[in-house]
Amino acid sequence: MSNLGNPCRATDGVPITRRDLIAAVVSGAATLFAPVALRAEDESFKFGLTPVFLSNDLELLGHLRSYLSAKIGGHIELVTRRTYQEITALLVSGQIQSAWICGYPYVQFKADLDLVATPVWHGQPLYQSYLIASAGRKVDDWTGLEGDVHAFSDPDSNSGFLVTRALLAENRQLPGRFFARNFFTYGHRNVIRAVASGLAQSGSVDGYVYEVMRETEADLVKQTRIVRKSEWLGFPPIASPKSVSNDRRVKALQQALISMQDDDDGRKVLALLRLDGFVATDPSLFDAIAAKVETVRQFG
Amino acid sequence: MKLLRRFRSIPVSYRVPVLVALLMVVISAAISERVLDRLSRTQESFINGLAETYLDGLSSAVVPAVLRADVWEVFDALDRSSASYKSLAPIETVVTGSDGRVLAASDPNRIATYSELSADYLNRYGPDVVTIDKSKLTGFAHRDLVYQGQPIGTIHATFDVSHLFAERREILVTLLVTNGVLAALFALGGFVLVRQMIGPMRVLEDHMRSAAHGAAEPIPPREIPAGDSEVAGLFRGYNALVHAERERANLAMQLAEEEKLSSLGRLASGMAHEINNPLGGLFNALDTLKTHGETPGVRDTSISLIERGLAGIRDVVEAALATYRPERSQRPMTAADLDDVSLLLQPELRRKRQRLDWSVAWNGARELPIRGGPVRQAVLNLLLNASAVTPEDGTVSLKAMSWEDRLHIEIADQGCGMPADIAGILIDQDPGPAVRAGRGLGLWMVRRVVDDLGGRASIAAKRGGGTAVTLTIPFDREDAKAHAA
Repeated sequence: MSNLGNPCRATDGVPITRRDLIAAVVSGAATLFAPVALRAEDESFKFGLTPVFLSNDLELLGHLRSYLSAKIGGHIELVTRRTYQEITALLVSGQIQSAWICGYPYVQFKADLDLVATPVWHGQPLYQSYLIASAGRKVDDWTGLEGDVHAFSDPDSNSGFLVTRALLAENRQLPGRFFARNFFTYGHRNVIRAVASGLAQSGSVDGYVYEVMRETEADLVKQTRIVRKSEWLGFPPIASPKSVSNDRRVKALQQALISMQDDDDGRKVLALLRLDGFVATDPSLFDAIAAKVETVRQFG
Repeated sequence: MKLLRRFRSIPVSYRVPVLVALLMVVISAAISERVLDRLSRTQESFINGLAETYLDGLSSAVVPAVLRADVWEVFDALDRSSASYKSLAPIETVVTGSDGRVLAASDPNRIATYSELSADYLNRYGPDVVTIDKSKLTGFAHRDLVYQGQPIGTIHATFDVSHLFAERREILVTLLVTNGVLAALFALGGFVLVRQMIGPMRVLEDHMRSAAHGAAEPIPPREIPAGDSEVAGLFRGYNALVHAERERANLAMQLAEEEKLSSLGRLASGMAHEINNPLGGLFNALDTLKTHGETPGVRDTSISLIERGLAGIRDVVEAALATYRPERSQRPMTAADLDDVSLLLQPELRRKRQRLDWSVAWNGARELPIRGGPVRQAVLNLLLNASAVTPEDGTVSLKAMSWEDRLHIEIADQGCGMPADIAGILIDQDPGPAVRAGRGLGLWMVRRVVDDLGGRASIAAKRGGGTAVTLTIPFDREDAKAHAA
């Protein structure tokens, strides 16, 4: 089982600063790389992946590459990085043509990114964030988690950080005060491991990952229980920088993703990801996440 | 000492196997001690090496995370390392930060993150890298994490060392079983070997024991082992001894017979002489009677001469009969027995012109409760010997005295003393060696008589030269009572 979720390593949890920095990089890069954009078709198509895969990474990568290669044409390069933030930076700077990112970075860099497609899970392009605790723990609602050692997934994760932080902000709380201690595990699976092992008493985790792990690692998940499920939020989307919006291959990618369930290789990829398919969605799908960003920003 | 004596009383066929087994036990104990000591050192060095490797690997994995106080990374490193170091069998590993608080433990439920380790917990770790608590079968290792010369935290590892002790126990049991089996096998082998070795000795022992009871039999050739030259040599030596002893006994009997005949001859010649002496006078008296028989004075004198001569002959013949006829030997002893001996000795004394000092102090009884025949025989032999060693014109003496319940008879000569080996026949506890030398057979007969009558003999040198032999012969008990009554 590979690492699940967003393994962003940066700990400078100040979104504004990072966004500004990356925006500056993007604008610089756009200027610098403008002359070579004409040659983009000659280069391989680079598709960034945050490791949200559930099992058999190499098998999934193989099927995905062959599927995309057949549908888009030319050489497809799958770019993986250890951190979500690295992929976001590569994407926003135009070094890769498309990437599967989280809703939180998407709303942060919305101005620079186009939505390509959004995964459909249980018939909707939506998912939830869970607050979990150890299975034997008696706790009625999220307020019972006060004073815990809490495990977050990633400072750039919507479900693994932002949702919980926004929940606390709505209740005039800060993670550092509400929880006795908190730390980042840089992966949704790690959050489940941390809570199951007792390293943390509670954690914030991606509901999609949690539900799929119920099937794939039932023994681990059994050691935890869900304390709170958030509202339904936009599923982590596939996005591409606006700078490559004219690239034929981006359109081809969108078509390939949307029609994935019509193809054998595509169905294999979807089966491995436990997804129903992909749809083209309106950016407004992520307004709820943007609202949470705003809530957090206002509370400070 | 008592135990040693008791041990020595155990037959050798059991003693040797027991000694072999004991020796094996001692050797195996020494070997086991060495092996276990060596094993213990090897294990310690092994476990130290493993712990060092574990701590080295873990240190490099956790130092960056400890620097950032990254709880998850530290936990993840611990979690992964527990699977990678199965040979060390880690039970629990705890990483603390520079403030001493727990960053992560391999089992966070037991030791919570951000908690402080108790003093008891910390005291389990000794000054060395690895400390082993034998009672809990647990090893403790710790390593300070240092980055750029600054201490940033510590790793505390607890691991299971029960397999080491189990291995030691297993080896100890293996040693004990192996050595026990070996000791038993050696003991059994020793038993069989010793039985086999002392088997011929038992044969020899049986033969010697039966020889001691008078029936010395040679070992049959089929019982002489062909392959064992030492035992065969011993057996053949024993057989040669038995044969030599038999020959010597035959020779002794033959010599005794010859001695008997010889003394008989001497006595016979003495008797013939004794009879011959008066015979001349008797014939003269007969001639005188034939010629002058009519003369009353001559006739009476001649008849008286003839009568005394015949009486002398009769006395000599009677004495000889009394001495040499066995049916008379059972009679109680009387003074006449000694008189007969004196009479039988006379011809020998006269021949050597020797004098006889004769002193018999009888206690007035007519007869003594002692068998007369054997005493006469013994006294006669001693007197003949005394006469033989006394020079011509010398004196031979006999003193007989009855005292309370015994009879003392001292026979003395004027010889040059009795050689020790000859004297031994009379006075030694075991007259065998002197007799087997084939000498002093007359004395041997005396010894047999004295032994037979329950008496004893003593020999003393006389003041003026010569030897006195004293026989002390107790009265027969039954007869003594009757005699006293």
